Amino acid sequence: MYKLIIKSAFASLMKRKVRTFLVIFMIASSLWGLLLMQGIYDGMTQQMINNAIRSDSSQLSIFAKNFRSQKDISLYIKSSKQIEEFLINEPNVKSFISRIVTSGLVATAKYSKNTSIYGIDVKDETTHASLDGYIKQGEFNFGKKNRGAIIGFQLAKKLKVGIGKKIILSAQNIDNQVASISLKVTGIIKTNNMALDEGGIFINKERAKIFLGLKSVNQISIMLNDYSKVDMLKAKLKTTFNDIEVFDWGELYPALLQTEQIMKSFSYISYIIVFFTATIGIFGVVLVSVLERLREFGVLRAIGTKFKIIVAMVFFESFFIGIVGLFLGSLIGGGTLYYFSLYGLDLSNFSDALDEFGMDAITYAVIKLEYFITAFIAVFSATFLSILVPLRVLKKSKPIEVING
Amino acid sequence: MKPYISIALKNIYNNKGRTIVTILLSSLSTAILVFITAFMDGEHKIMLKNAVELYPGYIQITNKDFRDNPSFDNLIENSTSLVEKVKENDNVSSTSQRFETFVLFSSDTKSVGAMIVGIEPENEKINSKLEQSLLKGKYLENKDKNFLYIGNELAKKLKIKVGDTISFVGTGADYSFCADNLIIKGIFQTGLFEFDSTSSFVNKKYFDEVFVSENLSTHIIIKPKDIDNAQFLSDEISKILPKELDSQSWKEFMKTLVEAMELDGIFGYITVGIFFIVIFFVILIYTLLSVYSRIKEIGILRAIGTKKREIFSMLLFESVVLSFISILIGGIIGAFLAYYFNINPIELGAEFEEQFKQYGLASTALPTDFNVFNILRDMLIMFILCVGSTLYPIVKVNSFKPVEAINHV
Amino acid sequence: MSRYILLILGTTVFLWATSANEIIKKVEDNLNGKSLDMKISMIVHTKRTKRTMKLQSLSIGKTKSFMKVLYPKKDKGITFLKIENTMWQYVPKIERVIKIPASMMLQSWMGSDFTNDDLVRESSISDDYFQKLIFQNNDIYTIELLPKDESTVVWGKVIMNISKKYYLPVKVDYFDEDGELIRILYYKDIKKYGERFYPSYWEMLPQTKEKEGRKTIMTVQSAIFDKEIKSSYFTKRALKRYSK
Repeated sequence: MYKLIIKSAFASLMKRKVRTFLVIFMIASSLWGLLLMQGIYDGMTQQMINNAIRSDSSQLSIFAKNFRSQKDISLYIKSSKQIEEFLINEPNVKSFISRIVTSGLVATAKYSKNTSIYGIDVKDETTHASLDGYIKQGEFNFGKKNRGAIIGFQLAKKLKVGIGKKIILSAQNIDNQVASISLKVTGIIKTNNMALDEGGIFINKERAKIFLGLKSVNQISIMLNDYSKVDMLKAKLKTTFNDIEVFDWGELYPALLQTEQIMKSFSYISYIIVFFTATIGIFGVVLVSVLERLREFGVLRAIGTKFKIIVAMVFFESFFIGIVGLFLGSLIGGGTLYYFSLYGLDLSNFSDALDEFGMDAITYAVIKLEYFITAFIAVFSATFLSILVPLRVLKKSKPIEVING
Repeated sequence: MKPYISIALKNIYNNKGRTIVTILLSSLSTAILVFITAFMDGEHKIMLKNAVELYPGYIQITNKDFRDNPSFDNLIENSTSLVEKVKENDNVSSTSQRFETFVLFSSDTKSVGAMIVGIEPENEKINSKLEQSLLKGKYLENKDKNFLYIGNELAKKLKIKVGDTISFVGTGADYSFCADNLIIKGIFQTGLFEFDSTSSFVNKKYFDEVFVSENLSTHIIIKPKDIDNAQFLSDEISKILPKELDSQSWKEFMKTLVEAMELDGIFGYITVGIFFIVIFFVILIYTLLSVYSRIKEIGILRAIGTKKREIFSMLLFESVVLSFISILIGGIIGAFLAYYFNINPIELGAEFEEQFKQYGLASTALPTDFNVFNILRDMLIMFILCVGSTLYPIVKVNSFKPVEAINHV
Repeated sequence: MSRYILLILGTTVFLWATSANEIIKKVEDNLNGKSLDMKISMIVHTKRTKRTMKLQSLSIGKTKSFMKVLYPKKDKGITFLKIENTMWQYVPKIERVIKIPASMMLQSWMGSDFTNDDLVRESSISDDYFQKLIFQNNDIYTIELLPKDESTVVWGKVIMNISKKYYLPVKVDYFDEDGELIRILYYKDIKKYGERFYPSYWEMLPQTKEKEGRKTIMTVQSAIFDKEIKSSYFTKRALKRYSK
């Protein structure tokens, strides 16, 4: 029985090849366009968020109470050893690093600038979040004697320093005295996290401790295995240690969090567009196809075919167009996204503006399963919706009338 | 020719279904295009306007070397008489003198380096949004002495509130040492963290006494009567300036922001473009369907001697009429929406607040841009799109031989 | 044979190197003495203005110094205290003691071409630099100072020309890391003050384009060496106490 229905639907579509293919093509191309945009916009947002997470906050950051608002170096994490023990034993923690964070002055013979100083361990940072991937010039280490410094590229530009040049770093130490150290630039880094690129300097953590007279760290940053359980970890940390504050990346970078949310609403809107496109397209074709074959259907009904079967016939036509369109669109769209996920979209012409707002010149597209699932839902629902009116027209028609023209 | 026109019109009238759907789709798309353009242009304009009007100003006069080397060697001299000269230009709406420098602020508990600016409080009301950003206390007046108007993040850093006294030490324009105590008169918040954590303002009359900067300034801000033509006024002013001074419009000194807007615009248009591919196809399909449904008719017409050309013109005429009606309806609806939201800006709400702050906007109200030229341009684009999408079906149907057409099922 | 030549050469170099050290030590001693009580007049020239200030400076050795502004009236009573690497300033107009933070150390001191850092660091040549005698003639020693790895001076190289007769500096050139000459400090007009000799005229001449047309000239009005100076001058209380 079903074989007949399907065959009949297929034959009907093939009779009007041009029409059928046009609708399929329309669904496919709009799907392609929307998938592409989704992937690229998502890619952009993800990259910005990743840059912030990898370079600065990780997914979760722990600070001493009031450190963020007062930025006083004396507000270091006193219970750091216990916290680190806790994190090692916590199953949801993938990795963590600790940093010294303070502000000071960086100077050469000709220029001086205010700077944020980060005392880090290069090995840890590499395993934790591949911070080494952001090195633009030089290397991601502090030299044999750990007297190196890695500078944000905009800061290096302003100071007019390159690899091997000497810089003097001064800051207020724990005794409120001005302490200075002399360093050589071993690397220049471009994270596209503006704060770092324009005013950040990384130095060796142990050297920072000596220089500033600190025994502990100011920031512990964590990457989780399962980010959806982040609130649990936050709560646990807060109850176990009472002298700390815990922030996730969204709280440290609210603008980025908002961008992510805006992207989500954008994707819903785009699927609604696909839905409507598919509906309208399939609707048109199916309606005309039904109207053209009123006589045929009239005959069928007259010989006793149940209306259900007729519905199935019409449905399969619609379904077929939708499925092929969906398949084609997903294939081409998925293929293009795959290409851009490997090679990236090159926007280097706008690099000045992009640099200003912390965006990468080359955007890598993201491919998510949910794109295709939502597309399927959109198109599938469209196939249902689009046949409602034609079916009504069909139902209303009286077989005898249509047979007699 | 005439009979074919009437046939065309009859066809439009008779095929109500097709006519209505096509007009609906086309006019909706036109309205959407007009509105989206108005929205995006409005968004960019307001972002730039807010960023410019918050503090930087539309036109800035500085010493030529000042931007690269902001030292006291590169100041504007005879600033007051220069301002009088500039005001002679009719296109100048208002001016403001500023002297920006860095000092070390010291409260009872903390010392912080920050920018202090000697401003003309009355003029700044028009040339910047400092007064509107008032959060606590009061804004400055032209007769104020040692009163400070300070950003709220800076006030937080120094742990001070309205009524407190803080001191500052700095260098005067004659390189002498200057210091004084200031009373906090007001605290402002623009929403821009950078600005609120590093800026403070005093009355220039008082500033000149302490910093020995009478008749000197680092910036002269000019607001043109026609804010859309700031560049033109800036160029005019350049001509009357002494050779060591330079006039720049916001397009020049805020170049990166302008570029970022352009980039955003491109993304917007790409999104819209994809939408139009869809519309193109939809109209194409509908036209195809409707034209094919009349293929017998067309075949007969051809059989009785109507030339291909004439069939083509007839069908094209139908398409033109439908498209024209659609874009007219759509254009009017879109224009109305653009106008309405221009007068009553859209409130985007808290979801977009952080985004706006990054771009320098203090509020989230977005007026759409109402530009007749753009609207007409959009209508024309849609018109071409609508008519264009019918070309394939028309040509296709015309390519049939009369007999084929008559026998087509 | 060759071994002896090597030994002699080595000793000579060693002697040369040592003598550079000795020269510098003598110079520093001559510049600071055990204690020094000076009255100085400072003139700052810029493209637009010329300003005069009068100061009194009291210092013990290299590490402690107290300064007070005597003129102009506007700045009278401003005092500075330097102990080791830290500097404080008292401003009578605002009645506050301010500790100079790290971010201000490279700002100009009282509008001159000397920075706060210059004043704090002025006498740690031996600590901060490798010293090498690179030239001498009948009148001067020329010593090349290269910063030690650990030292926190911004200079890439400093060349000091020292008077053989007086063991006082004559001219000091400051270079950045790329070898660009950033500023020159001249010491002129050596006069006798009690038992010692001292340059009575110091001129700091910036060489970079940004600082074109600027110079700072310090003239010593009077100088008393090795007199007993009350240790109470070198406390934070002194800042306010001796301001009047």
